[in-house]
Amino acid sequence: MVGKKSQSESDKRLDRLASSLLRTSAENEAEAERVASSPFLYTRISARISAERERREERENWLTLLGVMWRAVPGMALAAVFAFALFWSASPPGASARGGFSVEALLGTRDAGIGQIVFAETASLSNDEVLATILNEDEREASR
Amino acid sequence: MADNSEPVTLESPPPKPLAAAAGAEPPDAELVSRVVGAGDEAAFEQLFHRHRRRVTLIASRFFSQREQMEDIVQESFTKAYFALPDFNNEQDTSFAAWLARIAFNACYDELRRIKRRPESAISNVTEEEMVWLREQVGDDRRADDIESGAVARDLAAKLLSRLSPEDRLVLVMLDVEGMSVAEIAESNNWSISKVKVRAHRARAHLRSLLRRFL
Repeated sequence: MVGKKSQSESDKRLDRLASSLLRTSAENEAEAERVASSPFLYTRISARISAERERREERENWLTLLGVMWRAVPGMALAAVFAFALFWSASPPGASARGGFSVEALLGTRDAGIGQIVFAETASLSNDEVLATILNEDEREASR
Repeated sequence: MADNSEPVTLESPPPKPLAAAAGAEPPDAELVSRVVGAGDEAAFEQLFHRHRRRVTLIASRFFSQREQMEDIVQESFTKAYFALPDFNNEQDTSFAAWLARIAFNACYDELRRIKRRPESAISNVTEEEMVWLREQVGDDRRADDIESGAVARDLAAKLLSRLSPEDRLVLVMLDVEGMSVAEIAESNNWSISKVKVRAHRARAHLRSLLRRFL
């Protein structure tokens, strides 16, 4: 009983001392006044606000860009699927049947066009014909 | 803790650039709406001049170095500036109380940051400080001479650095600021029972720290 009472007294005394130390530690009014009266304090705060605003704007820009990209991903995927489907449907039936791609399908040479004619013309000239043409040209120039 | 719109000041009030035309100081709520609505920087400057002493005083409760106090003041006003749209003066909270809460949070964050890299340990307590402590326990009178005050301040800084940021925050709010448990709970978004438990533990921890030197 006596021991408990003495413990309680000791605790109270230590609490008072702790409280006193706490108040002593917090007694900085003079320094606080000097800080509060600092002439450039608001200038520094203003600069800090500007820097923070810039940082936030930059972050916002990044987030906006990320948002746009995030929204664009499904659209781009859809476009890719659509293009692939179009390409697949445009390939010749024979190629589809074989389950592969042909050069003709890629170049579109099955369509009648200038390219096909040019290729056909080029293919019909033999080396002898080319040589004869060049020799004829030389003879013609010599006769002049 | 001051919870009306008039802050606790240490000296005469600041200059009144905006009030000249109206003849009276506009209330905080009006200045806040000017900043939020029209981006009026002058209104924010006036809010700063009106409340800077209260914020600095809060910073001085936790930190003794000038640079630390300045940093807390800058941080508090910067946070307040960007949080102004969230401030709703129609609630019970006044602007002063709202700003004080931001300042306490800034102090708490700084204490946590410092705690991660402790600079002062309990082993740094000098023989002179231990003698002073024993004298104080033996005598209930509080020593007020300058030398004793300096010893007490150093010792207090060393002892308090051993407390957790939460414990220190609660003890300063209770014993130095004289805030009620309910006010502390509201300020920190804690429950009342958490504040009570935290205060009890903080006192017990401080007692055990003091006992080591007796």
